[in-house]
Amino acid sequence: MKKDIVGLIFTGERMDQLRDLTRTRAVAALPMLGRYRMIDFLMASMIHSGMHNIGIIMQKNYHSLMDHLGSGREWDMHGKRSGMTILPPYMSRENYGVYEGLLDALHSNLSFLRRSTERYIAVCDSYILYNTDYEKMLDEHLAKSADITLLYSKHKNARRNGSGVYLEIDGEGKIKQLEIAPGIPRYENTYLASFIMRRELLIDMVDRAVSSGHHHFTRELLIQVLRENYYKIYGYECKDKVWVLDSVDSYFKTNLDFLDSDNRGRIFDRKRPVWTKLRDEMPALYAKGASVSNSLIADGCVIEGQVENSILFRGVSIKKGAVVKNSIIMQDAFIQRNVEVQNCILDKQVIVRENVRLVSSPTYPIVIAKNSTI
Amino acid sequence: MVSKKSCVAMLLAGGQGSRLGVLTHQTAKPAIPFGGKYRIIDFPLSNCANSGIDVVGVLTQWQPLELNAYIGSGSPWDLDLSSGGVFVLPPHMKIEAAEWYSGTANAIYQNLPFIEQYDPEYVLILSGDHIYKFDYADMLAKHIKQNAAATIAVREVPWEECNRFGIMNTDKDNRIIEFEEKPANPKSNNASMGVYVFTWSKLRELLIKDEADPLSSNDFGKNIIPTMLNANELLYAYTFNGYWKDVGTIESLWEANMDLLKQPVPIDLHDRSWRIYARNIGMPPHFVSRTGSVENSLITEGCEISGEVKGSVLSAGVVVEKGAQVIDSVIMPFARIGENAIVMRSIIAENAVIDKDAQVGESTGDIALIGNSMHIKEGTTVRSGVQLGN
Repeated sequence: MKKDIVGLIFTGERMDQLRDLTRTRAVAALPMLGRYRMIDFLMASMIHSGMHNIGIIMQKNYHSLMDHLGSGREWDMHGKRSGMTILPPYMSRENYGVYEGLLDALHSNLSFLRRSTERYIAVCDSYILYNTDYEKMLDEHLAKSADITLLYSKHKNARRNGSGVYLEIDGEGKIKQLEIAPGIPRYENTYLASFIMRRELLIDMVDRAVSSGHHHFTRELLIQVLRENYYKIYGYECKDKVWVLDSVDSYFKTNLDFLDSDNRGRIFDRKRPVWTKLRDEMPALYAKGASVSNSLIADGCVIEGQVENSILFRGVSIKKGAVVKNSIIMQDAFIQRNVEVQNCILDKQVIVRENVRLVSSPTYPIVIAKNSTI
Repeated sequence: MVSKKSCVAMLLAGGQGSRLGVLTHQTAKPAIPFGGKYRIIDFPLSNCANSGIDVVGVLTQWQPLELNAYIGSGSPWDLDLSSGGVFVLPPHMKIEAAEWYSGTANAIYQNLPFIEQYDPEYVLILSGDHIYKFDYADMLAKHIKQNAAATIAVREVPWEECNRFGIMNTDKDNRIIEFEEKPANPKSNNASMGVYVFTWSKLRELLIKDEADPLSSNDFGKNIIPTMLNANELLYAYTFNGYWKDVGTIESLWEANMDLLKQPVPIDLHDRSWRIYARNIGMPPHFVSRTGSVENSLITEGCEISGEVKGSVLSAGVVVEKGAQVIDSVIMPFARIGENAIVMRSIIAENAVIDKDAQVGESTGDIALIGNSMHIKEGTTVRSGVQLGN
């Protein structure tokens, strides 16, 4: 059922800790779980919650995202009564196309906010993987007559070393305080960088905050609004597990976490599919003598060698005698004969030539950049 | 407004496919799963798309629900167009009568108004039960060059199998001089593949005449082609050398699936220049657990494998539980093979469930077949060649 709420995904985060993985792509475009990109999970949550109008704010290196989303057809978001709008940066008198923070981005895209007709808006960042029901969140937002509802998690996975935003919440679920990037957080409630409010109220708040010279949504606008103590700001708990992608290490662990079927069940449900760009690959082909254990394998792979505790994206080829363990091998990578790969992340189209050994430790996976030949 | 097209394709997908037994009780033959992620109709539809033919009429009659749903708007094959695309054409009521499609030629005759919307020069007639990659554009170009009335795709078959096919006898220029249906003493081994290009003005005239003949069975092979030969029309054979498989029987459907596991593979589905497109159901990558093992097999997205899979083709969403063995078999979407069950030389259709410790098929003998949504109870044995279905 269509709901009276528009979705807005912000893909402009800077995540330097992701190193080579985000050198040429936005966090939202990170390849995930064998055939997806990060944004697919956010889109699925929004679409399954009844949103028919979704805006995607792009910042830098957004080519791969644009290519991925295309016309929105795979998401059934290319209709006349539903659709997604890609919002790339642009230059104007008051805007240099470079956003210091979400507030800047919202301000630059006020025309999208104004043009939308839905009464409510859900905004989210793109570096957290979760499966949330915005429909329920909106119901609670309305039941409490809240002005702003922030999504949060108590799960330990949500915590970030020396960064992140933590919430003090009272017995009624009201937000009392925000703690930003503390060394050791005092509160167990981690803000999941997603909120719901009335669309017109957001336009109003953005206008006011920008005119006071602010750039950041959370640490300037939200803090200010909390201090004024005029609006009712509530928390909505995402009860299920969440995964934060803010470093190579967390990217690696998050992906390998999905070798566990319970975790797969948290995100994938036959009745709520996660859509992605199609490649029309044939099914994975296992040769005689192939050996695969505890691994996720996408279509289009050709496996002659040995694969263990790993994730193979679409179109990966593993030649005879090659051994791949505890690794993430992205689209169209080519692992030649007698290669050994352990604790590695191989980006798209990497070629590893015969007899090469790429072995790292599980706590510090090696990242091989896109298109490299080793 | 409908724009003019040089060539319109008509895909005959209405037959019951009774030789596929319980598989076609609820499903039209072209909608039967093949090769893990495909349905049989993906092959002719992808061939059309790759050949640049962008109007395809699909003539349906038998159990069309699944086929209609599968074709949908035609977007998987880029056939969701404003000026053309794919159209499902069931028989329909008219002022004179409401009638089923009584033969292949009659099915086209009943859809004359559909074809005429596009005012084509040529019409391509296809079957919905063949696995092959075929450039229809090349065949059409030859047809045009030779100024033929009809061009019929042929391929060489083993001499001892000629009695199963319509055989085309040609002169040195590949002009067809004689057509023999299932000859006992064949003069050539050029078998018709059921792929025809007709010059539309000729075919149109013939279809109208044929329909008026009460003795005709309104069939291309039995009536239209012999009539054209008798009238001394220019009919040419177009020799196709690639892989082609009629999957009209349980045995041949199983064999064609097994062909995908051969080295070197006789029909390469990795080929980027000639993709076979399919409707995607949006499942995560398949998972092989610590207890699972897979060899010499094709596995599609969404499968969960904790047992042993060898020499088999698994469609999307298939579950193979711990200790189960799946050997030399074809498992269709969302079937479940329970703990310690054994499946050998079998076809297990969509949503079928094989409970634990059951055994289906044997290492030799005919293929065993379990139909859609069948439930084989714990400990049951289903012998080779047995077919069970609803």
